Amino acid sequence: MSASGASGHGGAARGHGGSERGHGGADRGHHHQNRPGQSDRNAEKKPKETLFDLARYLDKVMHVKFVGGREASGTLKGYDALLNLVLDCTTELPRGDSDEPTRSEEKRELGLVVCRGPSIVMLCPEGMEPISNPFVSAADGE
Amino acid sequence: MAANLANIAGSRANPSTLLPLELIDKCIGSRIHAILRSNKEIVGTLLGFDDYVNMVLDDVREYETTAEGRRVNKLERILLNGSNIVMLVPGGEGPEGAAA
Repeated sequence: MSASGASGHGGAARGHGGSERGHGGADRGHHHQNRPGQSDRNAEKKPKETLFDLARYLDKVMHVKFVGGREASGTLKGYDALLNLVLDCTTELPRGDSDEPTRSEEKRELGLVVCRGPSIVMLCPEGMEPISNPFVSAADGE
Repeated sequence: MAANLANIAGSRANPSTLLPLELIDKCIGSRIHAILRSNKEIVGTLLGFDDYVNMVLDDVREYETTAEGRRVNKLERILLNGSNIVMLVPGGEGPEGAAA
């Protein structure tokens, strides 16, 4: 049992490393080797930018909605390029829409969790407040 | 193994952040609680996972929460498709542990 566990460990670690390299841009370097003489050296050096900068929200409380209607909020401790998140002191919140057949139980504490990027629908840093419509006055002026 | 993880951490722009897949990697061999998109939750011993976070779990309990209550299903060993997973709780003992 322990032997099979250990082999699984090694395999997963390799898979993980592979994915990191894939997103780090080394994958592009591989293409470059196949087609020498291409002038995309600058593009190769530049680290791949993510769509939004989650570093700003590290150690901030984030509210997350998932596919299927679950919701959670917790302190952002880490993330990767695929929008997988590590949240600490996480609480799963009861679902807002009561017509869901799978209406969630009460609020519960989960602690340190990993949220899967592909399942995330919405991310909202806590403390964001709705503002009044900034275009209303402009429309009135005309 | 440890060196491999150190490389992964070092390759990032911000090495202080905790990488999600690295955290799951540390859970191999211990209990993990997977919360799915549906009203199901899976608790089992993590044997391994891949890039899609498909997971092989041992000694598994499947919890299904319905309006009538909670149904528990015991399974020996499963391959859980990663596409259904929403949250992973390392060391989590499942809905019963959280409620207690």
